[in-house]
Amino acid sequence: MRESSTPVIADPDPILIAKNVTKHYGERIGCEDVSFSLWPGEVLGIVGESGSGKSTLLRCLAGIDRPTSGEILFRHEGEPISLFNIPEPTRRKLMRTEWGIVHQNPRDGLRMDVSAGGNVGERLMDRGDRHYGKIRRSAMEWLTRVEINEDRIDDRPRQFSGGMQQRLQIARVLVPEPRLVFMDEPTGGLDVSVQARLLDLLRVLVRDLGIAAVIVTHDLAVARLLTDRLMVMKGGYVVEEGLTDQVLDDPHHAYTQLLTSAVLAA
Amino acid sequence: MTTMLKAEGLTKQFVLHHQDSVTLPVFAEVSFSVDQSEAVILHGPSGVGKSTLLRILYGNYRPSKGHVHIRHGQDFIDIVTATPRRVLEARRKSIGFVSQFLRVIPRVKTIEIVKDPMLARGVSDAEATHRARDMLARLNLPERLWTLAPSTFSGGEQQRVNIARSFVDPSPILLLDEPTASLDAANRDVVVELIAEARQRGSAIIGIFHDEAVRDRVATRRLDLTTYKAAA
Ligand SMILES: Nc1ncnc2c1ncn2[C@@H]1O[C@H](COP(=O)(O)OP(=O)(O)OP(=O)(O)O)[C@@H](O)[C@H]1O
Ligand SMILES: Nc1ncnc2c1ncn2[C@@H]1O[C@H](COP(=O)(O)OP(=O)(O)OP(=O)(O)O)[C@@H](O)[C@H]1O
Ligand SMILES: [Mg+2]
Ligand SMILES: [Mg+2]
Repeated sequence: MRESSTPVIADPDPILIAKNVTKHYGERIGCEDVSFSLWPGEVLGIVGESGSGKSTLLRCLAGIDRPTSGEILFRHEGEPISLFNIPEPTRRKLMRTEWGIVHQNPRDGLRMDVSAGGNVGERLMDRGDRHYGKIRRSAMEWLTRVEINEDRIDDRPRQFSGGMQQRLQIARVLVPEPRLVFMDEPTGGLDVSVQARLLDLLRVLVRDLGIAAVIVTHDLAVARLLTDRLMVMKGGYVVEEGLTDQVLDDPHHAYTQLLTSAVLAA
Repeated sequence: MTTMLKAEGLTKQFVLHHQDSVTLPVFAEVSFSVDQSEAVILHGPSGVGKSTLLRILYGNYRPSKGHVHIRHGQDFIDIVTATPRRVLEARRKSIGFVSQFLRVIPRVKTIEIVKDPMLARGVSDAEATHRARDMLARLNLPERLWTLAPSTFSGGEQQRVNIARSFVDPSPILLLDEPTASLDAANRDVVVELIAEARQRGSAIIGIFHDEAVRDRVATRRLDLTTYKAAA
C-alpha cells in the first residue's frame, strides 16, 4: 500500500519548538532534555507527580525563566525566534501580545486594585486600542463570555469568588487574542462544580479561537477533556508522550501505568 | 473495489509493570483488509482481543508490531506511525469509533453533541440541526431530552445519543464495539437499519456484536480472532 507522500492538508509550521530544554537549580534537576513541537490549534497537556518539573518547564516555555541549556523557538511573523537570544524588552513585548499565561493563583495574573473592566481593558490598550467606548464595550463582551455579570464590571477582583477571579483572569489573558496560551493548573483549588464550568468554558474558547495551548494539570480527567496530546513527566524527564487517549488508555511506561491506575475514572 | 483499511501484521501484548512486569500476549500477526461497503464482524470468545484490535485500528491502543493503513481522502495514513495531529484529523474525517458508552462532556446539550461532528466537517448549522433532530427522533429519544446535557440520562438513553452522533453523518470507516449492547428490540432494529444505510453510502464497517441475530443481519464477512491467538 502506498504511504502518502503528499499530505492531505499541507502542514503549517509549528508555532512553538522546544529543543532539549533543561533547567537546573544548582545541583537539583528542574526539567531535563525536553523536546517537542506544538502546532497552531493544538492543546498539549503536561501531567506528572508533584515536583516532576511541570511548572519549571512551563516557565521556560513561556519565557519567564531562562533554561540552563536548550532552546525555545517561537514562530513570529513567519520566522522562528529563539526566545532567549533576543533582547529582554522584545521578549517582554512578545509575551504581552502574542501569548498569554493563566496562573494557578488568579492573584498572580490579575491586578487586584483595578476594576474587572480595567483588568480586561488594560490588555486592549496594550494592543494599541485607544477608544474608551470601544474598549469598555469589548471588555463587557468578554466578561459576559466568561459568565461574569455585566453589572460587576466596576467591581474589584478582591470582591469576587475564587472561581470568578479565575474566569476574569482567563478573560484578561484571552482578550488580546493570543496565538499561544500557557496554563498552570487552571482549575486547581476550585470546587468541582466550579471546575466543570471553567473547563467547559476553556474547551469552547480554545476550540473557537483556534489557539494553541500548553496546560499543566495533575488531574487526568481535565487532561482528557482539554488536551489533544499528553506528556508525562517524572523527576524532570518526559517519560511518555503521545495522543492523550493513547497515553491514558494504553500506557506503556511503568510510571504512567501507576498514574492511570490510581485514577480509574479518568 | 476500493480498499478502505488494511491491517498488516498486527501483534499486541500488554506489559503490566506493576504486576511483576508480566507480559500478556493477546494476538499475533493479524492481517486483513476491508473494502468499501463491507461489514466485517470480529469473532471469538471473551478476552480473545476483539476490542483491543478495534482500538488499535482507531489509534487508541498502540500495537507491539504492525501497521494500520486507513483511507483518508485520496491517500492512506498509517495510524500507527502518524503524528498525533494527523491521527486526530483522520478521526475527524475518515474513521469513527462507536462504543456502548457515551463520553459525557460536562454541560454540553444532547443536540449539540449530535451536531458536533457535522460542524467539524463543515456542514452548516441549520443543516446539522435538522439532521440531528431527525436522527434523535428516529432513535426514539424523547424530544424533551434534546436540550439537556446527557449526564443524568439512563444508560440506554446515553447509548442512543452516542449512536445518533456517530450515524448522523457516518464516517467512511466505522468501528463498532457492541453498539446495541443494552438497547431494546425496537432500537436495535433502528441501529441495524442505520448500519445498512451507512454501508449503502459506501462506509466500511468493522464491528463486534454479541447478539447472534444482529450479527447475522449485519455481517458480510467474519474474522475469527481465535486463529491469531498468541502463544503465551
Ligand atoms: N526556584 C527554585 N529553586 C530551587 N529549586 C526549585 C525551584 N523551583 C522548582 N524547584 C525544584 O525543581 C523541581 C521541579 O519543581 P516544579 O515546581 O517544576 O514541579 P511541579 O511538577 O510543577 O510540581 P507541582 O505539581 O507540585 O506544582 C522540584 O524538585 C523543585 O523543588
Ligand atoms: N488497557 C489494557 N491494559 C492491559 N490489558 C488489557 C488492556 N485492554 C485489554 N487488555 C487485555 O487484553 C485481553 C483482550 O481484551 P479485549 O477487551 O480485547 O477482549 P474482547 O475480545 O473484546 O472480550 P469481550 O468479548 O469480553 O469484550 C484481555 O486479557 C484484557 O484483559
Ligand atoms: Mg507546579
Ligand atoms: Mg470487548
